[in-house]
Amino acid sequence: MKYCKSCHVHYDTSLEHCILCNAELEQEGDHISIYKFSEISKRPLSKFFIRLFFFINIVSALICLYLDFRSGLPLTWSLVVTITNIYVIIMFTVLVVPTLWTSKMTKSIIVTVMAVILIGLAIRDYSWAIDFVFPIAVGTNILLISILIVTNKKKWYDYFAGLTIITLIGLIPGLFNLINLTSQRLPSFICFTYALFTLLGIIFLPSKSSREEFKRRFHV
Amino acid sequence: MKKKKYWYKIDNAGKIFPAVSKDARSNVFRLSFYLDEMVDLLLLEEAVNKILPRFETFAVQLKNGLFWNYFAANSHHFKIALEPAQMCKYFKPMNNHGFLFKVYYLNNKITLETFHALTDGAGALHFLKSIVYHYFKLKGYKIDHEGKILSEKPYSKKESEDNFVSNYDKAMRKNLQEEKAYHIEGEHFSHHWFLFIKAKVNTKALIELVKHKYHATITQFTTALLAYSIYKETNDFIGHKNPLKIFVPVNLRPYFDSVTLRNFSLYIKGSYASDRTDWTFENMLELTKEQFADQLNKDKLQSRISSLVGFEKNTWLRIMPLFIKTIAFKIGYNILGERISSCSISNLGIVDLPSGFKDKIIDVDFVNAAYGLSMTLISLDDYTNFIFSTPVKELAIINHVISFLVQEGLDITLDTNFKEGYDEIL
Repeated sequence: MKYCKSCHVHYDTSLEHCILCNAELEQEGDHISIYKFSEISKRPLSKFFIRLFFFINIVSALICLYLDFRSGLPLTWSLVVTITNIYVIIMFTVLVVPTLWTSKMTKSIIVTVMAVILIGLAIRDYSWAIDFVFPIAVGTNILLISILIVTNKKKWYDYFAGLTIITLIGLIPGLFNLINLTSQRLPSFICFTYALFTLLGIIFLPSKSSREEFKRRFHV
Repeated sequence: MKKKKYWYKIDNAGKIFPAVSKDARSNVFRLSFYLDEMVDLLLLEEAVNKILPRFETFAVQLKNGLFWNYFAANSHHFKIALEPAQMCKYFKPMNNHGFLFKVYYLNNKITLETFHALTDGAGALHFLKSIVYHYFKLKGYKIDHEGKILSEKPYSKKESEDNFVSNYDKAMRKNLQEEKAYHIEGEHFSHHWFLFIKAKVNTKALIELVKHKYHATITQFTTALLAYSIYKETNDFIGHKNPLKIFVPVNLRPYFDSVTLRNFSLYIKGSYASDRTDWTFENMLELTKEQFADQLNKDKLQSRISSLVGFEKNTWLRIMPLFIKTIAFKIGYNILGERISSCSISNLGIVDLPSGFKDKIIDVDFVNAAYGLSMTLISLDDYTNFIFSTPVKELAIINHVISFLVQEGLDITLDTNFKEGYDEIL
């Protein structure tokens, strides 16, 4: 134990000076006090590099937009760069935030499909994105989560939210077909049909446990 | 029989925490027991996993619903960890097998850090006592629990009850409005580090002082002392547009005959005008006594419970999707949440342990790392710990509190997580 003559307090720690008045502490008796906490060490500058990464992407996008704008022509290549920069930032955030890997996969596919469609719009040729990339990516995701649920029944409720969201998104290609936004209708039709059957399965084939899951997920 | 599959709606106090917690505002609090021997980490982990199924409200994981978060059963194995340097550190449940609490070990110390959405101090203390009791059992000690260890009692559904909802009375609702409070400003430590200072005093001497000289309770005395220290040691309080408001959480269980392990506490507050220049410790104490007597009234507490629950029963709020609620809670909390209180004092009272624990548990910590300056009080055997925690590099207020206690004749032993050389790092 130690003692501060100035503050008249004892110390049960390894400090040499009083934290209140900075006076030197006197040793009291034979008992040697120890530090009872984990010691702090200098942290790696990981947050600095994350911020730098975001900063470089934003600067890259702004410079490209400026240069493209200066050319006097409609923006094209700079939009592709900007979309890619934003895509990289969002994907980084999606992958860094800890969550279920199925959730990461679903979010990644949604973000990627959106980026691809936006790039299609930027280069004034989006048909390949809407006709093929969107329905195939979403359909594949529905299939993967369905397989996961069937093969890993114990954890099905962890995948339930992801399946519901991606299934609802899977209906959108059908809407594109309906409003004649697609030129190749078959992939969108297959995706829509598959999503519709999956959704009907979710609604009309509930077991007792899935009803419970509905109750939990939708409680108000 | 106990169920393996269960789920809970988050209680009123816990609803906002998942949305607003982050590195700088963890909403995590700490309870530690110091043993008279080094901790065996394998046995500690075994003890935690052994009692977890008994504590249904702790064996949960946070899930997202469409409208609200909820707690679902969590049957994962729990892993203990070495205590980090940062107290009450924000953690992502996903990195903790979904659990909303952490159990740490360090030398002879067992620490439980709990996310406030899960429970309050009283609930966490029951859990930690049970962990340590089972740890001692696994070590081979024969200790009679004397009815003081919850894990040795049969499970009751009442432990999982949301007593905010069960005590809701629509007719007692009233409009709760809270004015802004004075804030203690200052430079913060780096890396969200909190300074911890523990002042240990003899409980008998403290009671002698508080009861016989000042005719107050320990919480009233401490609240008035903290208020007086802020008044004396800050430059900007006098004449500040907002009053000083010290929030004091009250355990509602005794008032409403509750045994729940979930959150069941409400704040009362000591409020002190900033336009007075003639404050003395004595008149601050008298005002504190009056304010506490006025607020610690079952009807008034129930009225506040009803108002809080009434807010969450609002139809528009209920049908708002979770992601919008999360954004709204974040904005609302940033605008209002921290501005209504200046600091807080939390008194967990006496840690009631079986006599077989005597000399085996030699000290106890209770830390609430909240905004500004937080004080906690906890008593074990014949001493009481006043614990200060602050992210602000400013010791004048803490110094004044300790000096006051010394001048009143109390023998004080300090401990801290500060070390020489930390100034360069923090």
